[in-house]
Amino acid sequence: MQWTLNYEETWLHRLNPAFKLIFFLVLFLLLLFIHNPNMITNVTVVPLLLLLFSTGHQKKVLLILILPFLLLFFSSASSMMFFGQGSTTWWKWGLIHITEESFYRGLHIGFRALNFALLGLLFALTTRPVYLFYSLIQQLKVPPRFAYSFMAAVRILPVMVEEFQQLRAALLIRGVKKKKGIGRITQTVTLYAVPLLSQSIRRAHRIAVAMEAKRFNNKERTYYYKPSFSKFDLIFLLYIAIGFGLAFWMSGAFPYFDITDVRQK
Amino acid sequence: MKVGVSNLRLKFAGAPSLLFEDLSLHIEEGEKVLFLGPSGCGKSTLLQVLAGLIPNAVPVPMKADETVICESTGVVFQDPDAQFCMPYVDEEIAFVLENRAVLQEEMKGLIQFYLKKVGLSFQNPHIEISTLSQGMKQRLAIASMIALEPEVIMLDEPTALLDPEGTSEVWSTIKKIEAKQTMIIVEHKIDEIIDFVDRIVLFNSEGAIIADTDPSTMFSFYKHKLKEYGIWYPEVWEEHMKEIASLQGTRRGKEVLSVTNLKGYRGKNPKIEVPSITVCEGEWVAITGENGAGKSSLLLSLMNVMKTSGEKKVSNNVLKTVHDSRNQLAFVFQNPELQFITNSVYEELAYSLKMMNDSNVDEKVTAWLTSYQLEHVKSLHPYQLSTGQKRRLSVGTALFGSQPVLLLDEPTFGQDAQNTFQLLQLFEELRAKGMIIIMVTHDEKIVKHYATRQWVIEEGLLVSDRNLERVVEGNAHAMDS
Repeated sequence: MQWTLNYEETWLHRLNPAFKLIFFLVLFLLLLFIHNPNMITNVTVVPLLLLLFSTGHQKKVLLILILPFLLLFFSSASSMMFFGQGSTTWWKWGLIHITEESFYRGLHIGFRALNFALLGLLFALTTRPVYLFYSLIQQLKVPPRFAYSFMAAVRILPVMVEEFQQLRAALLIRGVKKKKGIGRITQTVTLYAVPLLSQSIRRAHRIAVAMEAKRFNNKERTYYYKPSFSKFDLIFLLYIAIGFGLAFWMSGAFPYFDITDVRQK
Repeated sequence: MKVGVSNLRLKFAGAPSLLFEDLSLHIEEGEKVLFLGPSGCGKSTLLQVLAGLIPNAVPVPMKADETVICESTGVVFQDPDAQFCMPYVDEEIAFVLENRAVLQEEMKGLIQFYLKKVGLSFQNPHIEISTLSQGMKQRLAIASMIALEPEVIMLDEPTALLDPEGTSEVWSTIKKIEAKQTMIIVEHKIDEIIDFVDRIVLFNSEGAIIADTDPSTMFSFYKHKLKEYGIWYPEVWEEHMKEIASLQGTRRGKEVLSVTNLKGYRGKNPKIEVPSITVCEGEWVAITGENGAGKSSLLLSLMNVMKTSGEKKVSNNVLKTVHDSRNQLAFVFQNPELQFITNSVYEELAYSLKMMNDSNVDEKVTAWLTSYQLEHVKSLHPYQLSTGQKRRLSVGTALFGSQPVLLLDEPTFGQDAQNTFQLLQLFEELRAKGMIIIMVTHDEKIVKHYATRQWVIEEGLLVSDRNLERVVEGNAHAMDS
C-alpha cells in the first residue's frame, strides 16, 4: 500500500526546516494581532497563492486537503455570527441572533482559522519529517536521542495502520457481537487497543534495542543531511513581508467593510 | 578469548527461577559458533549479554565473575520490520555511519559500498524500506550491521520470519562476509549453515549447556535432542515422513466448495480473479505464489471480508456475507494474536459456542483443550502462550462449529519443526475425516508431502491448478481423479 504522496520538489521544500518552523510560529502569533477584517481577508491570499502554485503536489490532492478547512471556515464563522453579541440587529429568530458586530467578528474568526489552516497545510506539505528533525538537531540543538526516537516512531505508524486493518478483518471473521450503549465504547477500546498496543510496544522495544546495537549514543556524531540556509529562505521572507505589507496597504486604500477593528463595541 | 562469560547468573523480573545458573562460555577469535536449543531456553538472551546489550540497553538483573565483551560487535535481529529507525535505505545506513562519526562527504560512497556487499545495488539508494521484500530488508539489516565494521558478528535468528527464498538470500550473503570474522549465530533452521559453522553449543530447556562440540559429533550423538527441540536439521522431513508411516492417498469425495467468476477488490482494482473452481471433500489445497501475488486476498475474498463479485457456494449455501462465510469456512490468520478477543484460553474456545447458545459448552471446550494439548494452560491469557500453543489455539477458535472447510494463511510460518509437524498432523486428521484444507504456504516440503492439490497464483490470477500425487515412503498411491 502506498503511504506517501507523490510530489515534485519545489523551492518551498528547500527552505531550512527549522527556520520554516519558527517563522510559521511567528506568523501564527502575528495573525492573532490582526483585528481589521479587511486586512485579514487580504492576508489570506498570501498563503493561498503559495499553496496553489508552489507546493509541487497535484491539484486534486490539494483540493481534497483544503475541503475540510473550508468547512472549518464556515463552521467557526457561522457560530460566531449566529450567537455573538452586538447592538445593531440584522436578523433574529429564536436562539439565532445576527448583529452587524457579530457578523464581522464571525467573518474575521473564519478568515483567521482559514489562515492558520493554510499555513499549517503549507508547512506539512513542503516539509519532510526527516529533514525537519535533522534541522532541529543541527540548528536548534535538539538532543539527537529525542529526534531519532521521533523518526523511528514515524516509521511505525504505517505498520500500525496495516495491523489495524488485519485486526478489523479478524474481528469480523470471529463474529464479535457489538454491545449496546456505553458498553460498546469500552468493548471497542479493549478489542482494538490491547492487541495494537501490545504489538507496538514490543516493536518499539525491539527497534530501540536495534538502535543501541548500531551504537547510537550521545557521543559526537556526524550528519548525513546538513540543512543550511539558502537564497530561498530570503525569498520566502521577502514574499511574506511584501505580501503582508500589500495586504495592509490594500486594506487601507480599498476597504470592503466599514469596520476596521472587530473588537470595537 | 574474544567474547565470553564465566559463571553467569541471570533472572528476568517475575520469572520463578534463574534463566542461567553459573553458565560459562568462551569464544575465541575467528570462531563461528551456532547456538541451538528449544524455544525459550535463553539463546537469544545470552547473545544479547555477549553483545553487551544486556544489561546496558535492556536492563535485566545479572551477575557474572567475568564478562568479556567486544566493543565492536554488530547484531542482526529476527524481525525485518523492527530493526530500522529511518524510512529510506540510504538514511538507514547513514544512521550507522553517523554513529561512527564518519565524515558526511564520504557517506554516499560508503552507502553504495555496503549495499553492494550484500547484493543490494540500487542506482539511487534513496528507496523506501517499506517497499522491499522481507528478504531484502534482512539483507539491508546485514548491510547496516557491517557498516559498523564489527569484529564480532551476532545473528539472532535472522531468517525465522523469512520464506525459503529469503532464507537462502540471507545465508548466501552472510557466507560472503570475510571468513576470518568471529560469528555467533542463533538459529532454528540450520540446513543451510551446518557446513559453515565450526562449533555448536546445545542448550536444554533449563538454559544449561548440554553439549559444546563440532557439527559432526553433534549430529552423531545429539540428534534425538535436536529433534526433541524442534530444530530444522537437514533430514528432519525425511525422518518425519518415515515416522508417520503412511499418509492416506487422496480420495475424492463429493463436491463441496464451488467458486464462479470470483473477483476480490481492494478499492476499484481486482486483487484476485478466479474464473471457476470446485473443491471436493478430503482435499488438501496448497496455495503458492510470490509475496503480494494475491494469495491472502483469495482467502479474504472467500470470507467476504473484501469486496467481491461472482459466486461462492459451500454445499449449496451461497456465501454472501461474512456471517454466511464464517458458518461454512473456518479461517486462521497468519498472526494468531490478532484473532484473540478474550482473557483466557478457555474463554477463547468457548466464545463462539456461547454466542450460538450451545447447551454443552463446557463439555465441548474440555474436549478441544485436550485435542489441542492446551488443558494445562486453559486459564492463561492467550498472549502468555508459546508460539506453538498460540497457533493451535487460533486453529481451535476458528473451528468452533462444523464448518466443512478450513482456510489457513501460512499456519506453519515461524514455527519450529516439532510444532509444524504437530500442526500438519492435526490438519491431516481433519482432512481424513473429510474436511477441506486450503492453505497458503511457502514451504515446498508441505506441498510435496501433504498437499493433494496445488494452486499457483501470479499477479492476482490463478495460473495453475493441478492435482498432486502424495509422496509416500515405499508405495506411491494412485489417484482417482
